[in-house]
Amino acid sequence: MTDAGFNLIPLLIVAATLGSFILTGLRARSREMSDYGLGGRYIGRIGGGAAIASNWMSAASFLGMGGLLYLQGYYALAYVIGWTGGYVLLLVLMAGQIRRFGKYTAPDFVGARYDSPAARLISAGISITISVIYCTAQFKGIGMLFAWLFGTDYRSGLLLGGTVAVGYVILSGVLGVARNQQLQYTVLIVSFILPLMALAYKLGYFWVLPQFGYGVAIQDLKREFGVNFAAPFAAGSLFQWVALCFTLMVGTAGLPHVLSRFYVVPNIRDARWSLVWGLFFIALIYWSAPAYAVFARLLEARAGMVPPPVAAEKMADIVVLKTAVLGGLPEWMIGILAAGGTSAAFFTVAGLLITGAASFSHDIYYRLINPRASEATKMALAKGTVVALSALVLLIALHPPGLIAEITAVAFALAGNTIFPAFLLGIWWGRANRHGVIAGMLTGVVVTFATPLFGRFVPAVADIFPLTSSALFGAPLVVAVMIAVSLLTPPPSDEMRRFLADQVHGHME
Amino acid sequence: MQERERYDVNLFRPRQGYMTGEVAIILAVLLGWGVVNFGFQAVLRLLAETPDGEGIFTRLTFLSFPWHFWFTAQFLPLWFIILCILFNVYIDRHTERHSRRRDRSHD
Repeated sequence: MTDAGFNLIPLLIVAATLGSFILTGLRARSREMSDYGLGGRYIGRIGGGAAIASNWMSAASFLGMGGLLYLQGYYALAYVIGWTGGYVLLLVLMAGQIRRFGKYTAPDFVGARYDSPAARLISAGISITISVIYCTAQFKGIGMLFAWLFGTDYRSGLLLGGTVAVGYVILSGVLGVARNQQLQYTVLIVSFILPLMALAYKLGYFWVLPQFGYGVAIQDLKREFGVNFAAPFAAGSLFQWVALCFTLMVGTAGLPHVLSRFYVVPNIRDARWSLVWGLFFIALIYWSAPAYAVFARLLEARAGMVPPPVAAEKMADIVVLKTAVLGGLPEWMIGILAAGGTSAAFFTVAGLLITGAASFSHDIYYRLINPRASEATKMALAKGTVVALSALVLLIALHPPGLIAEITAVAFALAGNTIFPAFLLGIWWGRANRHGVIAGMLTGVVVTFATPLFGRFVPAVADIFPLTSSALFGAPLVVAVMIAVSLLTPPPSDEMRRFLADQVHGHME
Repeated sequence: MQERERYDVNLFRPRQGYMTGEVAIILAVLLGWGVVNFGFQAVLRLLAETPDGEGIFTRLTFLSFPWHFWFTAQFLPLWFIILCILFNVYIDRHTERHSRRRDRSHD
């Protein structure tokens, strides 16, 4: 199989996979909901976990993480840790309380808790920005995958893949396709693990659980070729590692489309337990991603084809796929891997575009501009927003500002610097008020983009608030601003404070 | 003023009753979350013998992995899962203890 030409078999598998999601989604729609029935409680928690995991898995997890690990080794484990450890924060600090509060989107929560249209507007704007940044990373993945599938350059791949992705989102919406997230997760995990098992088998490592058996490969890499994949601080300092890891953690706990996941499960107890399952399913992929990176390094070294750093960086984001090609896996198996990556990116794009469109049509237009807007107007506006946002994303993705996981990390930094503190204090400190949250969120926006804004004039800014890792100092700073401004201004209404105390925290008394 | 304090919500000054126990569990889990993860990276740096961080942990192996790599890449995600399970078990128990009806309809 060549690397440059048209990859027909993988392309057919990708098309068949995406098509089958539409068909099963249409079939599911016509079926009765009573399929759940008795025993649904147990299945519900695992199923809910699979839904959380499939909602979470994006091109950043599927492709981007492997790419960064390939480039940076141990340093990139900050992504593995940040994106799993964030769920602990989410579970212990917020899950139950947000659910009892009863507002499921970030603008809804901020608007209601702080009783302020301005705060709602700012958080809606932030949600849309997060969607756009996150989507840009997905589009980069889609562009690279399509470029590989069709044997074209990145630009053509992006235009083609972006159009197909948006078409897919709109077609699914028009047909009313039900999302089967359990099926999606199954496809993602199988398509990620199966080729990895085949690679481990071919390379002669423990293949039954390849995610735990690649340790020998790390040692072989060092002994045979002098490549030290595991050097802890070769690609970044302790501070950089911790700042990145912490940023991804608070970002996970503040990401709008993750927060709203808890409300599809019938009660709080099930929501908490399905989060544990979700974390386990996510970890299954994250335990595996480093193995791809190690195998990629090993295969390159053995073939004597170690690319120079610039070339390595250019192709890092599809290194997972390149490893399968270099390892000589059969074409159908490479097709399955490509289908998994494409599905992960497509479903994330769908979720993000819909979240962004809803923020605009509901939280900005309906709530602030025209409260008498009809449902039809809101729908039309939402559809228009999907198209406008995708055009914007496509434009940015033509010149991607970084690697997939790095672009995604900026979205996490923004969420961690704005929405996370707004929720944290909103839930855990009754005195936090609208002036505090507005000042805090605006500070968070400035802090997130401090490096591109001021880094040139004040070099220290780039050290303290690195673009992908600004929340280590950013989030505490925003919390401090929120506390200070809240204390200097009048407290929120007694009604809200009583609601927090009695409904959100006093449900057992 | 008395009335105002009755509905004062503050993570660091939890109200008597359910919230006190809940906050204790939360802080214990957060301690385990922060110390094991960030603490280990700090120890790795402190015991490093080269600028790249090579040291005792990179020489030891576990399951054929360099020890530090195993700990961060494989154990820490597992540790987070364990923390979440512990949190849920304790919150479930705590909720049941405080539930008036004890019929699992409390949440």
